[in-house]
This record gives sequence, structure tokens and C-alpha cells, in this order.
Amino acid sequence: MIAPSASTLSPQLPTPQSVSSLRRMDDSSRGPISTLGRAVLNFINYFGQLGILLGEGFESLVKTKPRLHLMMEQIVRIGFGSQVVVIVTGAFTGAVFTAQSYFKFRDFGIESTVGSIVSVSLFRELGPVLTGLMVAGRVGAAMAAEIGTMKVSEQIDALRAMGVHPVDYLAMPRFFAMTISMPLLIAEAVAFGLGASWFVAVLGFGIPSAWFWMHTIDHTNLEDLSYAMIKGLVFGMLIVVISCHQGLSTTNGAVGVGQSTTRAVVFSSLALLVTNFFLTLLLNYIFPMGTIT
Amino acid sequence: MPAPPSAEPAASPFIQIRGLHKSFDSQKVLQGIDLDISRGETLVLVGPSGEGKSVLLKHIIGLLHPDAGSIQFDGTSLCGLSERQLAPLRRRIGYLFQNAALFDSLTVAQNVAFPLIEAGIKNPAEIKSRVQEALEVVELDAHTEKMPINLSGGMRKRVGIARAIVGRPEIILYDEPTAGLDPIVTDVIDHLIKRLQKRYHVTSVVITHDIASVFKIADRIVMLKNGIVYFNGNPDQLRHSPDTFIQDFIAGRSGMTS
Repeated sequence: MIAPSASTLSPQLPTPQSVSSLRRMDDSSRGPISTLGRAVLNFINYFGQLGILLGEGFESLVKTKPRLHLMMEQIVRIGFGSQVVVIVTGAFTGAVFTAQSYFKFRDFGIESTVGSIVSVSLFRELGPVLTGLMVAGRVGAAMAAEIGTMKVSEQIDALRAMGVHPVDYLAMPRFFAMTISMPLLIAEAVAFGLGASWFVAVLGFGIPSAWFWMHTIDHTNLEDLSYAMIKGLVFGMLIVVISCHQGLSTTNGAVGVGQSTTRAVVFSSLALLVTNFFLTLLLNYIFPMGTIT
Repeated sequence: MPAPPSAEPAASPFIQIRGLHKSFDSQKVLQGIDLDISRGETLVLVGPSGEGKSVLLKHIIGLLHPDAGSIQFDGTSLCGLSERQLAPLRRRIGYLFQNAALFDSLTVAQNVAFPLIEAGIKNPAEIKSRVQEALEVVELDAHTEKMPINLSGGMRKRVGIARAIVGRPEIILYDEPTAGLDPIVTDVIDHLIKRLQKRYHVTSVVITHDIASVFKIADRIVMLKNGIVYFNGNPDQLRHSPDTFIQDFIAGRSGMTS
């Protein structure tokens, strides 16, 4: 039996008038420090909720069998469904970066090395970050909207009522699918970026193809590929945890679903950008740049 | 009004609720519910809208956790159990949601098969025959491949009933099973509830505002008002209650004149 809480037993609950006056006092007395403190508490609370979701995900990993058919379904949605977005993002990022680099490198007479800077940038930064942002917008939003709609229409309660943990059924297949799909999507974006770079540099600006590839291959190594894959894995996890959390915590009907979807995209994108900085420092420590192999 | 003498049998209750309190923010919904539900009986929950009937039902299956009080399901306390600990108990319960809560992404047949697959039944022939049987009961066996979006409100509710009964649960919780259904289908559902009770000894807890259904199916009627059990007795006791609120409720009298 749960012990009755003090608030439940309290015979003298505040009246609506006293609550209202307390709220007015609270609002008027809320200075910058109080506001900051509240924001910090909300921030910590949010991370606590993400931690709980991760913990439940870990428990699911240990205690339940993976739902392969749901995982495959999500891989199709996340991986196959993102093809156009990823190809266009990768290709045009490679193309525009090649053009910009060429215009500057030409002043120094080193325009034939443009492939190297494009390749390293695509592997280490542009590929993972831009693909991550595009996937956060496309897949993160869809996840939050779908799970959020299930939440407000009691479909998640229906799962629970049938003895199915929502994390097992909804979050884990998406988590697995994202961790498999994201590195592959980044690899694809980088490949199309390099291909577009070749088109622009060789066919557009007349750089000899052999020189382009020689510089590109010389300055790109396995560490750059590791950078891209590790970032892809981390960004994928961030997007899926944040988006599933937003979906599962949706309240307030259609308005709430809209808010959750927006938050999923914004929070995923911001988390991705902030994490990218610290991850870059860490990865540069592990795979230092500047050595030619 | 004090509750009349209880019509509950002396045997140890299947579900025992004691001192159940639940509030949402400042709104106190349940304020000390004491209720026993015996195995095999059909208990009907009635009362004005917003008095916590659905909230009580969700406590019985552990979808909501009480602020205070206890719920025992077949001798096991639900309080303090995690989602994973609750799962085996929930598989013994069928639950019909007020809006059916069908899965949008699954067909009618897949929705009804869901509890069987989750219970670990792997034989496709067995799943198919049990789904067919459950859909025949609610007269929807011709609509197996339809998506929920293409069903009327009444059909969705009947699919929800099929999903609730397909796992052959020991107890079925019905949240307004006949709301929005025509009188003929309402009668079919009422007979279904009684048939499940007689044939399989299923315990049923039914929330309904349909007074005709109440008297047709109830072994015992519990009325909630102001967050407490206002009446607990058999249909005859309710029908002959001297309480004016109860009589107005049964007759559907608001006291307003046009």
C-alpha cells in the first residue's frame, strides 16, 4: 500500500483565491536569478527524463528480444525514405564547397588540391552534420508526430494495457534502425558529395581528373571515415532518443503533437550541433588531423 | 447518502480496492474508493460524467497509479510495480478503451491478433482462427483487411471489443462499450458480455450511461459521485432506492423545464 502523501491528507488545501495571489506574488518576485534557476532546473529535469528513457532502453535491450520486423520497417522508413534528402544534401554541399574552395585556391595556384579539402570537410564535418540535421528534420519530426499521436489517442495506453512496454515496441526498433541507417546515410552523402565535387572541379573548372583524385586520396584516410561513422552513430542516437522522448511525453491533443514535433526537430538539431563540437575535440584527440599517411 | 448493505459475496475478492485517492493537479477525482470485485460477476459503474469512472478503471489495470490507497489484483498489489512487472498481470485483463484506441497502422485483423502475438502464440492458424472467432462475435468478420480509419465509430468500438476478448482474459474492463452504437448492436454487445460471463466465467467491469444496458447486464451496480462510492448494490436495490439523485439519474431527469 502506498503511504498517503502529505498533500493528499492535508485538510486545509489552498483556495483558488489564495493560489491566485500566491501565483501573482511568485510572478512579481521572479527576478533574473529565479528565472535562471528555473531554467537550469528544467534543463536538469529534461536530462533526467532522457536518462530514464535511455535506462528503459537499456533494460529493454537486456530483457527483451529485438523485434526484427519492426526494426526492418524502420530501416526502410529512415534509410530508404531519406534517400532523396541525403543525396541532394550531399551532392549540392560537395558541389558548392568545391566551387567556393576553387575560387579562393585559384588565387594561390593550388586549385588542383581542391578535392582534398572537400573530402576531409565532407568526412569530418559537412557530411555528418548536414545529414544529421536533415535526418533530424525528416525522421525526428515523423517519429515525434507518430508516437505523439499514438499517445494522445490512447494507443500507447492500449499497448501498455496489453502488457507491451512502449519503449520495447516503439523506441527500440527506431533506435536500432537509426544506429544502423545513420552511418550509412552519412557515407552515402559523402560519396555523392565527392562525386559532385568531381563534376564541378573536373567538368566545370577543368582540373585534371587524375590530379583531383590524387590529392583527394592522398589527404583522406581511414581516420576521416571513422570520424564520419562515429559521428553518424552518435547523432543517430541523439535524434532517436530526443524524438522518441518528445513523442512519449506528448499531451494536450493535436496542439501537443505539433509542439512535440517542433521540439523534436529543434532539440535534436541543437543537441547535434553542440555535441558535434565536443565530439570533434574528442575525436581529434583520438585521430589527430595534420598527418599524411 | 450512505451506501446500502453490500451485495458482495464473502469469498476473497478478485480485485480489492481500498482508500483509493487520485488527483490531477488541484482537481480531486477519487477521494477514497473502497470496492471489492468478485470473480465471475458483472459489475456496472455508473455516475455523472467526470466523476472518475474511467480513472478508476485505469487504476485497476495499472495505467494510472494512485496518490494513496491500494489495489489488489488476485492477491497481488499493483502499487509500486513497474511497467514490466505489471505486464503479466495485464495480459490477464482485457480492456476496451472509450475511443477503442485501435492501432492506426494495423488492419482490423492485425489489431485483433496483436494481443495473441504479444502473448507468444506463434501458430498462424491458431491466431487466424481466434481472430476470426472474435470478429464473428462482434459481427465484423467480413472487414478483416480494413484499416481503422475506414471504419465507423461503432465498428471501431466493436473491433476494440474483439481485441479485448480475443486473449480470453479473466476480467474485461469495458469503458462505455455501447456509446455511439445503434440499439441492435447495443443489444448484441450486452448479450456478449453476459455470454462471456456464463460460458467462460469472465469477470466484467462495465462503465455505461445506458440505463437499459445497466439493468440488462449488471449483477451489481456501483455509482460514483463526488469521488466516492455513492451506491453499491444490485439492480433491484438501485431501482427501488429512495434517493432522489439516484431516481433522477435512472429516469434521466435534469429538473429543467423547457
